[in-house]
Amino acid sequence: MRATSYEGPYRIAVKDKPDPRIEHPQDAILRVTCAGICGSDLHLLHGRVPDTRIGSTFGHEIVGVVEEVGPEVTAVSRGDRLVVPFNISCGACYFCSRGLTACCENTNPSSDVACGVYGYSHTTGGYDGGQAEYVRVPFADVDPMKLPDGLSDLQAVPLADAYPTGYQGAEMCGLEGGETVVVFGAGPVGLYAMRSAWLLGAGRVIAVDKVGYRLDFARRWAGAEAIDFEDADVITAIKDLTDGRGADATIEAVGCEAAGSPMQRAIGVYVKGVAGSATALNWCFHATKKGGTVSVLGVFGPPMALVDFGTAMNKCQTIRTGQCSVKRYLPQLLEHVQAGRMPVEELITHRYPLEEASRAYHTFAQKEDGCVKAVLLPGTGTVH
Amino acid sequence: MEELTPSNPQHPLAGERARQPIPGAGIDLDPARRPGVPRLHAPRPLPNAHGPPTRQESQVTVFMHGRPHKDFPPVFGTAVPPSGLSGLLRRAAYRYPDHWMRHWTVLLFADRVDAWEHRLRRSLPVVLPALLVIGAGAAWKALSRRAAWAG
Repeated sequence: MRATSYEGPYRIAVKDKPDPRIEHPQDAILRVTCAGICGSDLHLLHGRVPDTRIGSTFGHEIVGVVEEVGPEVTAVSRGDRLVVPFNISCGACYFCSRGLTACCENTNPSSDVACGVYGYSHTTGGYDGGQAEYVRVPFADVDPMKLPDGLSDLQAVPLADAYPTGYQGAEMCGLEGGETVVVFGAGPVGLYAMRSAWLLGAGRVIAVDKVGYRLDFARRWAGAEAIDFEDADVITAIKDLTDGRGADATIEAVGCEAAGSPMQRAIGVYVKGVAGSATALNWCFHATKKGGTVSVLGVFGPPMALVDFGTAMNKCQTIRTGQCSVKRYLPQLLEHVQAGRMPVEELITHRYPLEEASRAYHTFAQKEDGCVKAVLLPGTGTVH
Repeated sequence: MEELTPSNPQHPLAGERARQPIPGAGIDLDPARRPGVPRLHAPRPLPNAHGPPTRQESQVTVFMHGRPHKDFPPVFGTAVPPSGLSGLLRRAAYRYPDHWMRHWTVLLFADRVDAWEHRLRRSLPVVLPALLVIGAGAAWKALSRRAAWAG
């Protein structure tokens, strides 16, 4: 089959690889019809995630059609269209049975810090991802969701990660109605978080980024006020907008390659001396009012980053974070999509055939051509 | 006492909702409508889950980090088996549990070594013939110089 292949930092290619096979009785093999490129894939591509091996196939936002199932799979069968959560979860262990499928105990030998994840290094279990023609899906009975007729691949693929993650970020703010929520990062997850904040009762949503077209998108699509942090001192601006106290809650949707501090970039991104730049996270602590909530969605790899924890402690803040347990969110978020409350597909500005994965990554990473989110469409030969 | 719900104009949300354009605003205000609340609920396996899972068999070398008393999970990935010097480094890293700094720093170092090994392998088809040509040229030059002295 044809699949993306990590060729070292900043390099990705499309190569021939062996087809995946059933390795466990609860596996299925999916023919991938749509695979998203996530902002967190860029951390892999940039060599930031430990044990990302040359030849790995990325991709944890997967929609596809079942081609083959293992002998213990009973709930899905050949021909079913599925969306696959990025977490690989057994559904029955201590954490899965309590709702935290993002913390499954049965799918990752390599680390205790995360469960198995598709195409996200051997630190998360060493599974190949879905930016390929085919992918192995463990626990096919449990994890994926069958797609209803009428739901397109482009409406389904954000359900695998970006949309539930953004929603969870807003949910973790614990809104009671009318609060001001600041979202750092106007990429796909940040935009979904902004719009979800409205659904969850926010009274005001403020977006922070430095990419002009994304801030425009946040204004237009997510009803947010926008602050370009290159135009103003962002913390002062937020405090000025919030009676001098800061926001009730902030959402960090940037992760370990945040811009905004030359020192953090130098040590964390260029020298790779620590696990990335924690600038957006530190800004969250300063932009949130005392006693407020900081909700962290951005990906930070082990082992450590330069985090201004003293500020959070002194300001009596609540910090909430976590990989999204996608499975538990799917029914309700699907309802929002089908009701038109969350037009998820409008963020997908760029679609590429699999063979153009390198160009897709470049366009997405460099934020060229107004790209908000890019997806790969294996099986198609033309750009849409 | 009047109930302060979002439909009440006195509620802070009510005024804001009128100003913003997102359809469905406030629909998930009730915590009962929030899928992630509470974060840990009473134990109930997901539909179709049948555990404990059968143990996966594999010939591929898969490392487990060195946490004592942990069983090898029944399901795992086999994407890229370890190989070369980077594989040896990774084997060394996985001897340590993941709360040890050296586990991660050795893994990150192994990633850099893996990239250099890959570059070397890719360049061999070009570099090897080039080295052979340079070596042959140097040998020919040396031989012809010796022949000139002998003459």
